[in-house]
Amino acid sequence: MIDVHLLILAVAVLVGLASSYMAITERDLLKAVGYSAAQAVAYTIALYILMAPDIVLAYVAIAVGVYSALLVFLISKTKRYEEGASDGS
Amino acid sequence: MGLESQFMTFMKVVIPIYLAAFVVYMLSVLRGRSVPDVVLAVDCMSFDVAAFMAILAVYFRSTFLVTGAIVLALWAYLLDVYVAKHLAEGEVGA
Amino acid sequence: MSLGSVLFYIGMAMIFVGAVCDVFGALGMLRFPNFYVRLHAATVGTIGGAVVPLFGVAILALGANFLPHRYAIAGASTITALIILLVAPAGSTALAYAAHRSGAVEWRPGVDHLKERKEMDKSAEGCRDD
Repeated sequence: MIDVHLLILAVAVLVGLASSYMAITERDLLKAVGYSAAQAVAYTIALYILMAPDIVLAYVAIAVGVYSALLVFLISKTKRYEEGASDGS
Repeated sequence: MGLESQFMTFMKVVIPIYLAAFVVYMLSVLRGRSVPDVVLAVDCMSFDVAAFMAILAVYFRSTFLVTGAIVLALWAYLLDVYVAKHLAEGEVGA
Repeated sequence: MSLGSVLFYIGMAMIFVGAVCDVFGALGMLRFPNFYVRLHAATVGTIGGAVVPLFGVAILALGANFLPHRYAIAGASTITALIILLVAPAGSTALAYAAHRSGAVEWRPGVDHLKERKEMDKSAEGCRDD
């Protein structure tokens, strides 16, 4: 029988991978900030299962809080939609 | 049957339910219908993860693990307020 | 049956209620038609799905005699529950206000009293300026 915490670790890391892919390919930058925060929450569970609560304290404060706030501040000073040459995504 | 073995059996039922709720919240984040929807789903998901962390701290019998829940609940609120300020006023901060 | 085991079973019941509320809140968040209806599912998911199991963990840790430092776990989860109880409605309200003001979500309401009220106030102000 598989251990429960290894199952939690696998689910959290796969979900974080999917949401970081969405954060890269999104054209609306405010939605991309939301996907990046979701990836941070998923990796928080992964670090928590790996028994590193001190890294969890630092990672949550930086990746959910300060990084998202800084990116929203930056978007409010510049443009919201990304303009690309290729429309491939 | 002591309290500890009852609790471990109970955890084998409860942890998959919380994981399923986490995955369904993440599906509604990844559908990405509009910006307030994404931020609201991230908000709910992080409060859920805070509750899940407190349950896992009892499961692993460790005191230090429960401190992450307080910090996660407080910082998830900041994302809400910043995106709401940006949507309502058009600018944030200084 | 001692007081400790009574507290333990009450905590276990609250954690199970929280898990069920969590699944229902997540399904509602996925399936409801527009943003303002999804706010109801968000309330089920935060208050029923996070505050109730956190109080349950606090009560369970008070009654569990196998835990080391159980009073620390009980106190930390009580503080987290109080924080979520204060913060989650404030965040939802701020987000709903911003969504209505900026028109970021698409919805087809029968009546929109807030918008009518704002237009009425604006036209009253315009009359006063003339």
